[in-house]
Amino acid sequence: MKLSELKADKLGRVCALGSDTHFLNRITSIGLTEGTVFQVVRNDRKMPVLIYARQTLLALNRADCEKIEIEEAGA
Amino acid sequence: MNSIALLGQPNSGKSTVFNHLTGSRQHVGNWPGKTVEKKDGTFTYNNEKYSITDLPGSYGLSGNSDEEVITEKFIKDGSADLVLVLVDASQLERSMFMLAEFAQLDAPAALILNMMDVAKEQGVTIDTELLSERLGIPVLPFTAADDKDYDKLKSLIVSELKDPHKLISVPETGSNDDIKDAVNSKYEWISKQLDGVCETKQKEYKLSKFDKMITSPRKGKIACIGIVLLAFIVSMFAAAPIMGVGAMIPKLLSEPISNGLSSLNVHPWLISVFSLIIPNTLYFCVAMGGFVLAVNIVFGYLEEVGFLARMAYQFDGVLSRLGLQGKAVAPMLMGFGCTIGATSGTRVMDNWGQKMLTMAVVWAVPCASIWSIIPVVSGMFFPAWAMALVILGILVYVFFMMWVVSKIFGKKLAPAETRTGMIMELPPYHKPHWKHIFKEAGFKSLDIFKRALRTVFIISFIFWLLQYTSTGNIEDSLLYKIGTAIEPVTKFFGMGWRTFAGFIGSAFAKESVLGVLNSVFVGEHSMLDATFGAHSGVDSATLAESMKGVISQAEALAFMFAITFNVPCVMALSTTYRESHSLKWTAKVAAFYIVCALLLSCIVYHVASIFL
Repeated sequence: MKLSELKADKLGRVCALGSDTHFLNRITSIGLTEGTVFQVVRNDRKMPVLIYARQTLLALNRADCEKIEIEEAGA
Repeated sequence: MNSIALLGQPNSGKSTVFNHLTGSRQHVGNWPGKTVEKKDGTFTYNNEKYSITDLPGSYGLSGNSDEEVITEKFIKDGSADLVLVLVDASQLERSMFMLAEFAQLDAPAALILNMMDVAKEQGVTIDTELLSERLGIPVLPFTAADDKDYDKLKSLIVSELKDPHKLISVPETGSNDDIKDAVNSKYEWISKQLDGVCETKQKEYKLSKFDKMITSPRKGKIACIGIVLLAFIVSMFAAAPIMGVGAMIPKLLSEPISNGLSSLNVHPWLISVFSLIIPNTLYFCVAMGGFVLAVNIVFGYLEEVGFLARMAYQFDGVLSRLGLQGKAVAPMLMGFGCTIGATSGTRVMDNWGQKMLTMAVVWAVPCASIWSIIPVVSGMFFPAWAMALVILGILVYVFFMMWVVSKIFGKKLAPAETRTGMIMELPPYHKPHWKHIFKEAGFKSLDIFKRALRTVFIISFIFWLLQYTSTGNIEDSLLYKIGTAIEPVTKFFGMGWRTFAGFIGSAFAKESVLGVLNSVFVGEHSMLDATFGAHSGVDSATLAESMKGVISQAEALAFMFAITFNVPCVMALSTTYRESHSLKWTAKVAAFYIVCALLLSCIVYHVASIFL
C-alpha cells in the first residue's frame, strides 16, 4: 500500500520508492530508503503526513507519499 | 590565510557556529553567477587570522540544486584547507548522511558532533574515540550554544591545519548510475561506523501534548495564528521604550539647536538641516530600529525553539498555491506590523528564490502605519458604514495583490520544477540560546539602523528642498510647481497634485502621508515638522475641512488605495535589496508595485466617479 494510506501510530517499512531522480535524492538524503522502518505519527486529511524515522520527525506532503510503496511492519 | 569551510544539513547548527566564530566580521554576498547566499567571515585565534566559509545548507551533495553543486565544487577545488562537517548528535544515523556524501570528495576534515546536550538529554551515549579511530579524522563532541566549547573547536582547527586528516573509511561506490544502490551503500557504511559507537533504541514516538495540538489540522492553525499575534504584541511592548526614547529626540533637540544656531547667525537653511531634518531622521531611525530589533528577537526565538517548523507544516498547503513554502507565513504576518521587519524576517526561507518571492508578496501586506492612516482619511469623507467597506475592500485587495504578485514573479523565482512538495524535518523543541538570538537580532537591526540614517536623511532633505519657500506660501515651492505641471497626467490616474504629493510621500514612509497632506492642504506646518510624527502636529479636523473643499470622494478613495498598495517605503526597499543582494529584482518588483498602484488608483477613481 501507499504511505498515505497507513493510519497514525502504525509501523511501516518502505518497500519501493518512486523512480524520479529529484524525488529520490531528496527523500533518501533526509533518511528514507527502501527497508527503512518508520512510525506514522499523524495522518490527517489534506495535511502532510508526519512520520518518525531514524530518530527524526519528518513531514512529507501527500503527493509524494503516493510515490512511496510500503508494508505494515509488526505492532 | 588558512581557509576553513562549514558543511552540514539544515538544522545542524551551522549558522550558530559560523556566527559565534566570526561575530560581526562576516560578509554576506552571492556565489558568482548564482542566486545562492555566500557567507564568509574571519576570526583570530592566538594572533593568527583564519577565514571561514559557511557552505549552503542541503541534505546531501548529489548535485540536485544550486546549493549542492556549489558546495561540491568548492570542496573539490580544494578551496578549503579544512572542512568541518557538522552533524546532529541527537539524530546521528540520519545526519551522518552528509559525511557519507562528503566522503567521496577526499578532503581534509573533522567531524563535529553538535547538539551533544540534546543527545545527552535523550540518553544517547556516543563513543567518540572509537568513531574517530574508525573514520581516521578527529571527532569533537560539541554544543554550539555553549561558549566553553569554542576553545576546543579552535584548538582542533589549529592542530588539524598543521597535521590534516582525511577519512580512511569511505562508502563503497557501486555503479554510480543507480541512486538507490549508492544511497543504500552509504547508509550501510553509516551503520557500520556507528556499530558499538552509539546505541539507538527505536522506540515508539509520542507527540507531546503541545505538539499534538499544534499539528492538528484546525486547532493547530488557530493556535499558530494566535501565537504569532501574541509574538507581535510582545514585540510592540518590547519596542515601546526604545520608540519612546526616539520620540523624545526632536522635542529635546529641535528648539535648543535652532535657538543656538540663530544666535550664531547661521544661514536659515543650515538651521533647518540641523534642527529639523537631523533630529527627525534620528527619531525615525531609532523608532524603526527598535521595532525591527524586537521583532527579530521574538521571531528568532520562535524559530530557534522549533515553532516555525510546525507553522510551516500547518500552512504549507495554503501557501504552496502561491508557490511559497509554509514558512513564508511568518514574515507575511509580520508585515501587518512593519514591512521592514517582515523583509528582514525572510531570512528563514530556504533559498534565494523563495526569499525574494516572499518579500515581493509581503510588500502587499499593509503595515501598521497604513492601518493608522486609512481610518483617518476615510473618516473625513465617508460615514462609518462606508468606512468599514473601504477597509474591507482593502483587505480583499491585499489577497488579490498577493495572488497577482505570486503569479507574475513566481514563474521566475519559484519555477515549477523547484516547487517540490514539503519534505522537511520537524526538529525537536530546543531550549532557546538567548545570547545567539540577541546577537543575531542586534547585528541585523544595527545594520538596518545605520543604513536608515543615511537613506532617511537624504530623502528628508530632498523633501525639505521640494517644499521649501522663503515666503511661507506653498505656491512658491518647487513641489507646487512640479506638482501642478504634471497634474494633467496625475489627474488621469485619479490624483490631483496635492494627493499625488501624498502618494510620493507614501513611497518614502507611510508615516509621512498625513504630514504631507497637512502641508499641501492646510499649508501652515512645515512639511517636515509633521512628516515623521504621523498625527503629531496634524489637526485632523482642520485637515478634513481643507481636504473636503478641494478633492472629491472618488479622489479620496483612489488616493487611499494608491498609497496602500504603493511600494512600502524607502527602508523596506533598501532592506529588500540588502536581503536579496539583487538590485535588478528589487527594482523590478518596485516598478511593478508603482505601476499597479497607479492603475488601481485610475480604475478606482473612474469607477467611483460614476457612483459618487
